[in-house]
Amino acid sequence: MALLTIENLFAWYGMAESLHGVSLSLEEGGIAGVIGPNGAGKSTLMDSIMGLVTVKGSIRLGGREIIGLKPAELVRAGIGYAPERAHLFPYMSVRDNLLVGAYTARGDIEKNLELVHGLFPVLAERWAQETATQSGGERQMVSLGRALMTSPRILLVDEPTIGLAPKICAGIAEALLRLNRETGLAILIAEQNVNFAMQLARHIHVLETGSVAVAGPTEQLRSDPELAKAYFGH
Amino acid sequence: MIQILIQGFLLSGLYALIAVGFTLIFSVGRVLNLAYGAYLMLGGYAYFYTVQQLGVPKLPGFVIAVATGALAGLAMYQFLVKRLKGDHVAVEISTLILAVVIQAAIVLLFNESSKILLPIVDGVWRVGSASVTNNILTAMVASWFILGGLMLFVKRTHLGRAIQAVSMDAKGAMISGINTDRINLTTWAISGALGATAGVFFASYTQLNPSMWVSPLIIAVAVVIVGGIGSIVGSLIVAHIIGFMEIITSSLIAAELRGVFTMLLIIGVLVLRPQGLFGRGDL
Repeated sequence: MALLTIENLFAWYGMAESLHGVSLSLEEGGIAGVIGPNGAGKSTLMDSIMGLVTVKGSIRLGGREIIGLKPAELVRAGIGYAPERAHLFPYMSVRDNLLVGAYTARGDIEKNLELVHGLFPVLAERWAQETATQSGGERQMVSLGRALMTSPRILLVDEPTIGLAPKICAGIAEALLRLNRETGLAILIAEQNVNFAMQLARHIHVLETGSVAVAGPTEQLRSDPELAKAYFGH
Repeated sequence: MIQILIQGFLLSGLYALIAVGFTLIFSVGRVLNLAYGAYLMLGGYAYFYTVQQLGVPKLPGFVIAVATGALAGLAMYQFLVKRLKGDHVAVEISTLILAVVIQAAIVLLFNESSKILLPIVDGVWRVGSASVTNNILTAMVASWFILGGLMLFVKRTHLGRAIQAVSMDAKGAMISGINTDRINLTTWAISGALGATAGVFFASYTQLNPSMWVSPLIIAVAVVIVGGIGSIVGSLIVAHIIGFMEIITSSLIAAELRGVFTMLLIIGVLVLRPQGLFGRGDL
């Protein structure tokens, strides 16, 4: 059953139309990837789901139409978001950043902290460190951790590997796979790093200039030589 | 010398109390609320009206004064600032105009003459040859308690952390489930309450008059500019620098030059260290 269904979505940044009729869906417990070059509309799509840009069309979460809800209401409805460039609170400690994430899920703090520290033990070790002084990889972990502190039903992750070393990317991929496997949390990942996205996602949507150019199960897209050459570079 | 030290600490405590509400709004909304001085004026006049004209006891009168400031802050955000949608210049011009309008309303209601606000706490405290009024001493102690409480509130509560979060990254706060609009509203109300509290003490230290909003506003602006964006601790330190500078100037040089060095300090910091002495963007 589809947890998230997007149909014919248009989005605007000011006067500029950035998405042109995008449709996609994500199953309960699934992982889907949205890939595409810079400017394809990946972050706009994520921001649209999170209620941060003006949109038209339909976005349903568990059958409920969520267009028109404010970001705070969407978090309460079960959407967790780790955005591009993290948007952390730089002069707050790791722990306080995570606690801000728990603003709407205060009853789950202990349970969610245990989950986050289990996935990213380094955050438990460096709980008092200000995020302004952390490495890019650690900041990405805090961003994911903060999103998990909201007790989400679905996790949106935008460009989690940007600027990170391959070893750190592998660690992030492993953590997301483990999270999905152990908790059944549905994950939608927007990525430029095609290999990273294909390593995780069971379905891939290729965005080009604001529209879905190709979509399908990852293995199917990977095994089509023409598509593989056109979009995945091999 | 002892008198200068005592007066310096007392005045600085009052200045810190004056500045902290202004700092809070500047930190969260990155906007200069030029009507902030009007909160002090509203607090002072509300206390004067309830206690000295209606005969309400001092404590309820003080609570009413603080509530007046909080309501003014709420109303200002809800009906003015929110509608200007983050246009900082428009907010600053509008709040300045609003302060003048409030001044005119005060003249209409209470006339232009200055009024003496009776001390909230009577009596004098003597240390050797030096003496201070219990009123200003209470203002300093209250200021320390309020600032300490505010620090604890901001650092240790969910709402306080939400205020910090909005001040550091509004998008990050929104995707954490924080209603940034409600946080702004709350911050403006707290700022109004803090301003009105400071106003009661400031008016009892000086006088009540319809133009009394100007000098606290200058102090608040000076503290924010010199201290840096939105740092409560920075505000506290700078309030003491300015307070001591003014007391030393008026005691040892000339009372007429009291505020001049504050102005020169603002200009100096703007030229040499525009981010302020302690500014880094956190509360």
